[in-house]
Amino acid sequence: MTTEQDEDLRLLRDSVSKLLDRAGGVGRARRVRDDGAGWDATVWGELADAGVLGVATPEEAGGLGMGLPAAGVIAEEIGRVIAPEPVVPCVALGIGLLHRLCPDDPALENAIAGQAVLAVAWQERGPSGVSDAVDCEFSGGTLTGSKDWVMGLGDDAPVLVIAKSSDGLALVRVAADAKGLTKKAARQSDGSSLAALNFSATPAEVLAEGAAVSTALADAIADATALTAAELVGLSSASLTLTLEYIKTREQFDKPIGSFQVIQHRAVDMQLMLEIAEAGVRESLAAMENAPNPQARARQASRAKARAATAAQNITREAIQLHGAVGYTDEFDVGLLLNRALVLSAWLGDAAYHRRRWLEAREAEEAAQ
Amino acid sequence: MTDWNALSDAEFRAEIRGFFEAEYPEELRHLSHRPKFAEIEHWHVKLHAKGWVAPAWPTEYGGMGLEAAKLLIYYEEQQRYGVNRGRDMGIQMVGPLIIKFGTQEQKDYWLPRILSCENIWCQGYSEPGAGSDLANLRTSAVIDGDDFVINGQKIWTTMAHDATHIFMLVRTNQNTERKQQGISFILAEMDQPGVEVRTITTLAGETEFCEVFFDDARTPRANLVGEIDKGWTMAKALLSFERIFIGNPGLAQNALAQLETFAKGRGAFDDAVFRDRFATVALDVEDHAALYSRFADQLKRGETLGADVSMLKIWVTETYQRITELMIEVAGPDGGTLGPLQVGNIGVDVLSSFYKARPSTIYGGANEIQRNILSKAVLGL
Ligand SMILES: Cc1cc2nc3c(=O)[nH]c(=O)nc-3n(C[C@H](O)[C@H](O)[C@H](O)COP(=O)(O)OP(=O)(O)OC[C@H]3O[C@@H](n4cnc5c(N)ncnc54)[C@H](O)[C@@H]3O)c2cc1C
Repeated sequence: MTTEQDEDLRLLRDSVSKLLDRAGGVGRARRVRDDGAGWDATVWGELADAGVLGVATPEEAGGLGMGLPAAGVIAEEIGRVIAPEPVVPCVALGIGLLHRLCPDDPALENAIAGQAVLAVAWQERGPSGVSDAVDCEFSGGTLTGSKDWVMGLGDDAPVLVIAKSSDGLALVRVAADAKGLTKKAARQSDGSSLAALNFSATPAEVLAEGAAVSTALADAIADATALTAAELVGLSSASLTLTLEYIKTREQFDKPIGSFQVIQHRAVDMQLMLEIAEAGVRESLAAMENAPNPQARARQASRAKARAATAAQNITREAIQLHGAVGYTDEFDVGLLLNRALVLSAWLGDAAYHRRRWLEAREAEEAAQ
Repeated sequence: MTDWNALSDAEFRAEIRGFFEAEYPEELRHLSHRPKFAEIEHWHVKLHAKGWVAPAWPTEYGGMGLEAAKLLIYYEEQQRYGVNRGRDMGIQMVGPLIIKFGTQEQKDYWLPRILSCENIWCQGYSEPGAGSDLANLRTSAVIDGDDFVINGQKIWTTMAHDATHIFMLVRTNQNTERKQQGISFILAEMDQPGVEVRTITTLAGETEFCEVFFDDARTPRANLVGEIDKGWTMAKALLSFERIFIGNPGLAQNALAQLETFAKGRGAFDDAVFRDRFATVALDVEDHAALYSRFADQLKRGETLGADVSMLKIWVTETYQRITELMIEVAGPDGGTLGPLQVGNIGVDVLSSFYKARPSTIYGGANEIQRNILSKAVLGL
């Protein structure tokens, strides 16, 4: 829209990408994975100092108020170096819920300042995947039930939980060492973990209750979904860049392999997938800012994730193929990108799920007209 | 000795299935990694005692002498029950090479040791500068008295860290017009001062392949197979064995069985989209098997396979990949989770299947190279 806004985004992209490159680029993901620490607390602090965590939080709630397109720029840069820090989960879900539901809670200021990493537990496991219902129950000050697929949960961090209560849904907070809380980590292909939590009469503090919680949750999930898509776009572009460099330098049959027409066409197809995804995801994020209703927001988020997950899966797989055997080693970065793409594609719904959701949202909007 | 080919297909299948079910160790079923020999030795001993280690070798050399249709059944049952293929480079590659080009002494010496797994083999073809362009290989072998002296480096050598021997292509003549000339086939021992093995970690976090460095390593001249400087032609003959083997339906069939189990457990068959996609890959596997038996019959009749055998490898590896990609979709929110995913009381390791399928379009002649071959040699383009 305005060139001033474009310029702001460009500056933001520049400063975040410099910060992340200085921290160590893509290779840092391998080191952090091998250290088993989950993420780097120093980098987390630097990201917070750069204003990254409050980028989409309104100014009156203590953020930068730059909106989703700015958060998208950050997510793309995070994806480009597959930074292991849980920026998107924290910005979109943790901080996103707090600034919508309880902007005065000191936890919000803390989170934006990078003093706490806020993970949100909202999904529950059904017999064949994610359950549609929330069965985890908050009553009489305690929580009972279970949650799954919690991303970005630190060892001694409290967790925000969505539970059902007498008044619809509730957002509650559970301390890391709360009684009756057990955690199980599922190790992911990129070395991160998703936590499964079980609560049995676990003491919890209520932060918000009622209809506002469902609305805020839907918005936060849509944001997280679209921002994960942006992260996948950044990741895909990194994968393509590495592949282009490689096929220009690797020689077989006395020529760079990039001189073979079949390789050229495949590289062009990767570029096309990337550009289509980038255009679609950026437009979705902009449209979500001004979406007239929750259905339209959800539709845009699904559009973004469906496209980005498909592009990232195809591009990262093709990158391995064009590298040949070196692409299958841990030593080359294209493998790290493939592994991260698997995790981000699966989290919050894969491409097939979001294609379905997109159509459902579109039909619901049409029916409402 | 039983003439397996005289049995009806159904009788033969029952025989194979019965043996696997009765004798194959439960803990080795559907292994998600490539085992070291020690891990599967107890099974190999049984298989060897039964005389079933080499289904495709002629009976005179200790094989089962199976004709194409029977061989297919053997592989199918192996995959169905999740029987590990074992350390079979010797069986699949070195054995056929020696049977075809070796001297009587070489046959008498090596073949029984391959069958018993007293010798465990790895394949030393690729080098850092010689992947698709294999003829670009530089590792040299120079005659010194009764020995060859070997210098150079091999890479991507699968399971070299658990092999006693390597069969390799080396350059024995530097002064040739074309780089395909002056290459020879030699066999060498791994356990010697001039050989150093370093494992390479894959993106799945496993150590399946290695770099192998040769620094004045030695092997007796008697370990040259076939004529000196004529290794390229032989390697190509061997590749056609490899291409039919690598084009066999097994991997895809096994993955399909895993997909079916997993999808049933996850209720995916209630979904119309999944049903269509499942049927698509299932038919891709079934029709590939039909094409495979056509080629296998050709082999059986003693005909040499043409370049068109490359079709098998392309189709089966790409189908294999699609099947494992579909498994990830069925896994949905667990699609990035390592290790077995429980469905009922069975664990299906979705990511491990996905990872295994990735390089199948790279090794054994990358699919791009196979397509180049087909377009030139078969379509005449
Ligand atoms: C899991 C695994 C196990 C292996 N095990 C062994 C083993 O035991 N022993 C052994 O010797 N080797 C082994 N290999 C190596 C394998 O044979 C090589 O990876 C293969 O030959 C490809 O060579 P490369 O990896 O160097 O890729 P490159 O040849 O560098 O090719 C890179 C890309 O360029 C493409 N390309 C190259 N040339 C052309 C062309 N002319 N036209 C179009 N496209 C082209 C390729 O298809 C590929 O996509 C293994 C490889 C893998 C992945």
